Amino acid sequence: MVSLKQIPVHSASVVTRKTGEEYVLVPVTGNIADMDSIYTLNGTGAFIWEQIDGKSSLEEIADKLTEEYDTDRDTAGKDVLAFIENMIRIRVVEIKEAG
Amino acid sequence: MDKFCLNIAGYVIKVERSAGGPVLMPAQRFRKSFTTGDGFDYLIRVHRGGCLIPPGAERVFNAPLVEETDGQTVIKSHEFWSIHKKDNLIFIKTIFPHNPGMHSGMLTISRHPGVWDLELATDDSIADPLAWPLDGLLLYYLTVFNGDIMIHASGVDYKGKGYIFSGVSGKGKSTMARLWEMAGAKVIHDDRLIIRRKEGEIFFYNTPVYDDDEPRSARPAGIFLLEHGKQNMIVPLDGSRAVSSVMANCIQHNWNSEIISGLMESLSEVCGKIPVSRLYFRPESKIVEFILGNGQN
Repeated sequence: MVSLKQIPVHSASVVTRKTGEEYVLVPVTGNIADMDSIYTLNGTGAFIWEQIDGKSSLEEIADKLTEEYDTDRDTAGKDVLAFIENMIRIRVVEIKEAG
Repeated sequence: MDKFCLNIAGYVIKVERSAGGPVLMPAQRFRKSFTTGDGFDYLIRVHRGGCLIPPGAERVFNAPLVEETDGQTVIKSHEFWSIHKKDNLIFIKTIFPHNPGMHSGMLTISRHPGVWDLELATDDSIADPLAWPLDGLLLYYLTVFNGDIMIHASGVDYKGKGYIFSGVSGKGKSTMARLWEMAGAKVIHDDRLIIRRKEGEIFFYNTPVYDDDEPRSARPAGIFLLEHGKQNMIVPLDGSRAVSSVMANCIQHNWNSEIISGLMESLSEVCGKIPVSRLYFRPESKIVEFILGNGQN
């Protein structure tokens, strides 16, 4: 279970490319790739991805999302958590260990 | 023979038997790709040997032997070909399911153009140095090292304009090639293409797959990602959606971030210059006219 106090980091085993305002993500899987292992991020997903710097907590990222988009803080927090949990599931984001 | 040169996708690949190596007898599908001359882009030296992976090399990729029958995928063997890495060298080791006289092969390659070494474990005095799957593996690494794209696609040249139709098995690549051929187009290939950027222009090439395949190429005017549909429809794609959708149909061995990154860069450039669309189509001859009319019925 991820909490807003935690700090996300990009996985070392993902290759990204920015195309316009969007991102293509390809995990380094060690396998023959298929459609399921290529992802695109746009809109808020691309924005959240850009805020992941290994220092900012999910709470701080949610604050920035609130500033950038016309959304309230609760919704932004839920959106950030849902996004990060999805990114962890596909192994392109990890949670930084405490300390 | 002791040596031969091939022209594949514009690359000159010289294959040469070393002292004690087997006599070279490439398969019929390469015969029309023979070329002459002293120059080459890559030299493959063929040796006889035990194909032993050097100690300390890391296995980074393993491909099982898979067969597809009636839409069902069956793993025939967990050991088919594998990729190993040590320092700057990559070792590709494989068995040859269609060539029982050849026990195994190991191709040693590096990113830098020049000389690659192929070791064959065979009791025979004659060997095909590019037997399946080594031909595809060699071409795959040659192309990715050069920033090219190897893609599951058919391609045609119609009155000087090239059209690429991409999709995995069953999406209609060869059907589309046949429909265009009936309309007078030259088929570049019906299953697999290599897309290259050369001097600011983009070309696509066939590779020798069928007997007597001769080198062919064209300049793409459009890339279409095939989907069967109840009616013909073109949906343009751009940005990351175009790159990721085309990439999904590219041949990829995702063990090396540098190779993935290079492929993404190549695709970004190609998709930025060539219109990419998803094409929903009915397998009928009027699809040719529909595409030439840019989606207007």
